[in-house]
Amino acid sequence: MSQGSLTLEVTNKPSELDTLGERLEKFCEGLDLPPKTVFQLKFAIEEIFVNIISYGFSDDKEHRIRITIRHENGVLAVCIEDDGQPFNPLESATPDVACPIEDRQVGGLGLHLTKHLMSDLHYRRRGGKNVLTVRKNLKES
Amino acid sequence: MEITETKKDGIHIFKLSGNLDSNTSPEFEQKVLKAIQDGSNRLVVDFEHVDYISSAGLRVLNLASKKLKRNNGKIVLCSVADYIKEVFEIAGFYLFLPIVGSLEDALATV
Repeated sequence: MSQGSLTLEVTNKPSELDTLGERLEKFCEGLDLPPKTVFQLKFAIEEIFVNIISYGFSDDKEHRIRITIRHENGVLAVCIEDDGQPFNPLESATPDVACPIEDRQVGGLGLHLTKHLMSDLHYRRRGGKNVLTVRKNLKES
Repeated sequence: MEITETKKDGIHIFKLSGNLDSNTSPEFEQKVLKAIQDGSNRLVVDFEHVDYISSAGLRVLNLASKKLKRNNGKIVLCSVADYIKEVFEIAGFYLFLPIVGSLEDALATV
C-alpha cells in the first residue's frame, strides 16, 4: 500500500473550502481511494473547518489553518491545527439560543454524522493551538 | 453548483449539479423557499449530478420538508448516489424525505 502525506495551509475564509476540497480529493485520488471514502472525508473535514471558522476565532483577523493528511498502514489521518482561542469543534453547538427548537435539533446533525463516518476524532490544545485529529480506517466500509 | 428549475404537471423540479456545501447551499435554500412561497407544493430534487453534500445541504432539505409538510406538500429526491443516500439514512432523513430511483419514479410519487 502506498504511503503519502499532504500539508496545506488555508485562511479562515469560507471560500477556502473549495481549495481544501480540491486538494483533499486530489490526494485521495492519488491513493486510489473509493468515492465513498473521499466523500466521507470531505464531509467530515468541511464540518470541522466550517465550525472552526464560524466559532473558533473571536477577532476579525485573518488566521491560518494548517491541515496535514497522512496515509499510513491503512489509516488516513487528518490533522487540523489553528491558532485561535481554545475551541473544540467537536463540542460546538449552535450558539444561537434564540433558535427555534426544530432547527436546534438539526444543529448538531453535522457533527453527529461526522462522528459516525469517521473511525476516530480527537481534540487537544497544544502550544497555544487547537489540534483536531480525524482518523479513517480505510479497511472499514 | 448549477441549479436548474423546471415545472411539469404542477411539480417543481430542481436539478442540481456539483457540490451542495456550505457555500452553495444558501442559493439552493433561497430558490427552494421561493418556490414554496410562490405556491409550489410538490417538489422533486434530482441528485443525478450531485457529487457531494454537506450538513449545510441536509439542513436545506430538512427545512424544505418541514415547510412543505405544513401545507400538506411533498418533496422527493431521486438519483442519489449510494454514499450520499447512506448519509440520509444515518441522519434519519429517510423517515420524512423519500428517495427514489429515477426522475420518472419521483414524478410519479410526489
